Amino acid sequence: MAADAPWYEAALLVGVTNALNVVADSPLESLEPARPSAEAESVFAEIRDFYDRAEVPSAFRRVAGDPGYLADLWGAARRVFTDNRLTRRHKEALAFAVSVTTRSPFGTAFHLGELRRLGVGERGVMEVLGVTQMFSSYTKIADTLQLEPDMGDIAPVDHSPAPGGAAPASRAADRGRAEPRSPEAP
Amino acid sequence: MPTVRLRDASEYPKPTQKLFEVAKSWFNYDFAEPPAMSRVMAWDPELGALHGRAMKRAMTPGEWTRAEKEMVAAVVSGVNACNY
Repeated sequence: MAADAPWYEAALLVGVTNALNVVADSPLESLEPARPSAEAESVFAEIRDFYDRAEVPSAFRRVAGDPGYLADLWGAARRVFTDNRLTRRHKEALAFAVSVTTRSPFGTAFHLGELRRLGVGERGVMEVLGVTQMFSSYTKIADTLQLEPDMGDIAPVDHSPAPGGAAPASRAADRGRAEPRSPEAP
Repeated sequence: MPTVRLRDASEYPKPTQKLFEVAKSWFNYDFAEPPAMSRVMAWDPELGALHGRAMKRAMTPGEWTRAEKEMVAAVVSGVNACNY
């Protein structure tokens, strides 16, 4: 994963995962419409289909009072969790790790359920949990001692343009040349 | 700036320096000095060895590839707002 594209994809996934978790983990049950509008129900049907489950996750039910917002939020969630450069299975692993790390009861249970539904076994779950736990250790050791990044030279900079765009002329000439980049992991 | 003085690899006992060779091999990269985290973990070689083994066990390819696991590690570091 030397190119930037999968890392952009992962970062967008982390953001949307956290956005869903913060709403689902807050005491906002009272916001769930008793009788969702037809527009909201239409979105709910897509959500049920995507997750292959009868119940719509609370993160979506709680914003259903504004069907337009629900539709956009759902569209963003579906976009980031759909197979792309990263598989949906791997994305669920990332979302599970994010949810455990941020102590999100909703996210942890939901993404654990999704991992299992997508065929990840107990060993696979433990592997993700192990990495999550180990790097929750390293990060706090690093922060306590205020360590500075020192592994930036491991991978080259990706000079490819933004999707659909063109590389700046000055960069096009440099393409392929190894340069330091910001660290990807401790 | 670190709150402690990070010792050079040469300041560690010889047996501990072997751990740095393991780290170099793990990252497949020839560091001028071992990464700061490796040198911190080597401060207590007993803990460093146990923690390091647990980390390697967690990062070894299994149901997920090493690359997939590195990305899990990166997002965990990101949400922990860890600059290192």
